[in-house]
Amino acid sequence: MKQYRTHLLVCAGTGCVSCGSFKIKEALEKEIKAKGLDREVQVVATGCNGFCERGPIVMVQPDGIFYQLLKIEDVPHLVEEHLLKGRPVKKLMYVPPAEKQPVPKMKDIEFFKHQRLIVLRNRGRIDPEKIEEYIAFDGYEAMGKALSGMTPAEIVDEITFAGLRGRGGAGFPTGKKWAICAAEKATPKYLICNGDEGDPGAFMDRSVLEADPHAVLEGMVIGAKAIGASKGFVYIRHEYPLALKRMEIAIGQARDNGLLGEDILGTGFDFDLEIVQGAGAFVSGEETALIASVEGRIAMPRQRPPYPAHKGLWGKPTVINNVETWATVPNIIRRGSDWFQGLGTDTSKGTKIFSLVGKIANTGLVEVPMGITLREIVYGVGGGIPDKRDFKAIQIGGPSGGCLPAKLLDLPVDYESLTAAGAMMGSGGMIVMDDKTCMVDVAKYFLNFLQDESCGKCVSCREGTQRMYEIVKGITEGKGKESDLDLLEEVANVCKDASMCALGQTAGNPILTTLRYFRHEYEAHILDKRCPAGVCKALIRYVVLAEKCTGCQSCKKACPNDCIKGTLKDIHLIDQIRCIKCGACKEACKFEAIEEQREEAIQII
Amino acid sequence: MITFRMNGLEVQAEEGSTILDTAKFYGLAIPTLCHHEGLTEFGGCRLCVVEIGEGLRSKLVSSCTYPVEPGLVVRTDSARVWKSRRMMIELMLAMAPGSKVLQDLASKYGVTKVRFAPRDGQCVLCGLCTRICAEQMDAQAIGFQQRGHKRKISTPFDMRSEVCRLCGACMYVCPACQLRCQGPRAETALCNACLAMAPSCLEHYDDLQCWMYDAGRCGTCVQDKKS
Amino acid sequence: MAGKTKLRIQDLAKIREKTKSLMTIRESEGRARVTVHMGTCGIAAGARDIMDTLLEEIGKANIPDVVVTTSGCAGLCNAEPMITVELKGQPPVKYGHLTPDKMRKIFVKHILGGQMATDLVLAVGSETVY
Repeated sequence: MKQYRTHLLVCAGTGCVSCGSFKIKEALEKEIKAKGLDREVQVVATGCNGFCERGPIVMVQPDGIFYQLLKIEDVPHLVEEHLLKGRPVKKLMYVPPAEKQPVPKMKDIEFFKHQRLIVLRNRGRIDPEKIEEYIAFDGYEAMGKALSGMTPAEIVDEITFAGLRGRGGAGFPTGKKWAICAAEKATPKYLICNGDEGDPGAFMDRSVLEADPHAVLEGMVIGAKAIGASKGFVYIRHEYPLALKRMEIAIGQARDNGLLGEDILGTGFDFDLEIVQGAGAFVSGEETALIASVEGRIAMPRQRPPYPAHKGLWGKPTVINNVETWATVPNIIRRGSDWFQGLGTDTSKGTKIFSLVGKIANTGLVEVPMGITLREIVYGVGGGIPDKRDFKAIQIGGPSGGCLPAKLLDLPVDYESLTAAGAMMGSGGMIVMDDKTCMVDVAKYFLNFLQDESCGKCVSCREGTQRMYEIVKGITEGKGKESDLDLLEEVANVCKDASMCALGQTAGNPILTTLRYFRHEYEAHILDKRCPAGVCKALIRYVVLAEKCTGCQSCKKACPNDCIKGTLKDIHLIDQIRCIKCGACKEACKFEAIEEQREEAIQII
Repeated sequence: MITFRMNGLEVQAEEGSTILDTAKFYGLAIPTLCHHEGLTEFGGCRLCVVEIGEGLRSKLVSSCTYPVEPGLVVRTDSARVWKSRRMMIELMLAMAPGSKVLQDLASKYGVTKVRFAPRDGQCVLCGLCTRICAEQMDAQAIGFQQRGHKRKISTPFDMRSEVCRLCGACMYVCPACQLRCQGPRAETALCNACLAMAPSCLEHYDDLQCWMYDAGRCGTCVQDKKS
Repeated sequence: MAGKTKLRIQDLAKIREKTKSLMTIRESEGRARVTVHMGTCGIAAGARDIMDTLLEEIGKANIPDVVVTTSGCAGLCNAEPMITVELKGQPPVKYGHLTPDKMRKIFVKHILGGQMATDLVLAVGSETVY
């Protein structure tokens, strides 16, 4: 642990950034290193503290001194006088006003303060339908640099050194993929942006496409120069009408301004983009199925090799990357691979966007540095579980991922750790579950999704998901047998092993992770015919407790299916055959006379 | 020629051929169902899976679709492969228990139980019929519909086809339609009767009497009913 | 900036300076800038009603120095509909969980009156851009 004697806190909120605070930060770092102070003084970027009209702001701690309205020319003098000689520079100082109003600052709110925005840097501050606003925040600057000042090999090298890995789920090194395609001789070459976000509960790509479509365009033009592509396709699922509309407007505006099409920015480079709408299948997010879909064929994966980088769209070399990956590229080119390397872990660099949903106080989109722990996400950024309930599990990676229990909350979020735990980073969906969630029911939900969405080619996946669903459904209905658990595990493992594409290869994960970490819940369903979370309706009964019933008829009136018999002041009775287990009677009863009971705890009256 | 290893042996194959082609050439038996020499590869039945690679990076791939690469390490009969093959047979039997081809595969690979509720279907969605109709008969009268658990093979919009010439190629190539077993009918989804065959005719004759017909046609050699 | 003009790299820098000065309230002519967040989450939660209310109030008050603009999702989706109000000389303020009534209150107290409606404030300042 390095002990710095001084910290320079450079404000990196919107206001200061638009006044050049990043350049000031870089100048400070350079000057500090030149003066040999880099072991003693650390420069840190912080969120906005509110003094926006005085930016760029640099605060020196522990001295507690504010420097304001800084310019790059001030930096050498500042470093020399204050840091080297210990004499604060009066003419640059500002005395902060006394706090009159107790309002929370963005940089102090848990949800915002842990986030580091790279891909989402323009969120909430630009109108995505106005290209000039994107340009105002350094938009297309990276593209200009790449097209006029860098060779294709230099671009590929930057992306490789930065350590960017595909954000679609597999985490394949982007630079490597680009290098493979760049080396191919066949033309024309193509680029594809995979915007077919199919995971239930994930909306990261949708948000980027809606809020900052130009970031994706810029990334693709840079990629086109790097690999030598002439045409690109943005594949957006048709369930995202706003994203489709905004992307169409963005492409139109970019073309009109010579930022897309022929002779981009007058550099002689040609590249154009077309939007392709998805047709409603989860499997078309798989790269070879997506290529088939763009070619107008049914979205069914094919054997790889050959990989799309060698032979992709129409048999030509193609690079397919996720929306988030493309949107990260301009930032790396603009600010350098060294900057990107500064965030994240050794193997997983940069940030990742997660859609944090489920039983969590702060639902939304969070962009956090790789390596942050699950606990920090759930209890820090997420604000914990609402209604004072207990955390039970967090589902990461959609139907291809897995459920991790409370004991793994200190796991750092990066590609390797999550895979080792049995889950998967996936595209970034994070569903938080509390103790009122039944894990067997969750597995059933995902298997139902997978059996619907499997393309149906491979017996292992098509039949495997159907049979796994059948068995788990039976378990939730109280028909489970002891041998079911071993059979489930066997089918899940074979499905993983023998299937051709990633859908099938990860279809076993919902079962395997829930069996690994929540086996006791399955056993309760099978052996005790009991659902510990109280979710599986077939395993609970609603019964009127004779000693508490006052005969007030509230339950009878609440029942939607006429299941309760009883006259006024008489003890009521629930007809178990008609009962649909909706629970309305229990809610209506003011005397706590209706109880949820386990199947076998019933006494026949 | 591309050189690689299969089951520890060094083998050579022409570029563009598949692992299955090479295995056949060298006489290694890999079971197939949806593969047919005259048709394009599909890779759907997953019976032909083999293990490639070594250590933690080994994985199963369908040998009928995987092109040969220099330096490949292939194992056609590893434990992982056998586990998958057996499960594929079990899953397909649960779809179409009446298929002789599947019942024979079950007996050959030692599948002795079907642990799933049998559906009395007659199709395993191997796609041979759609491919022979499109590629050999140039008709394209039938194809796959839907995906996932709703997948089926039919004519467009389930309507009577105008391009079907009633050639019967689809029936000819279908593994579920092929000559049904002539032995005693099984009572459960899985027969396995020929696993326990003991030809009684050899006690009286010097030759097996059913050498011109399918084994078991006279029904006398299947001694033990599967218990 | 409309129409078909083929830009060059130096043009980008010019547009950047010009648009930035329009957008950062301190240098532009407007007195206040209100951003209504209209990502899918905002629209689903009722951002269009909030926008309508805001424009209605501006029309009624007949003040020309308020810039209204839209943006995408601001990140904290369960607090939608959200707006960001930025007055000259003050840090940007985010308001969440809005209804047309709350919008009117904020319009009167903050946009017209120049004082934050503290009981409705979600946060002050902007996020950390890395």
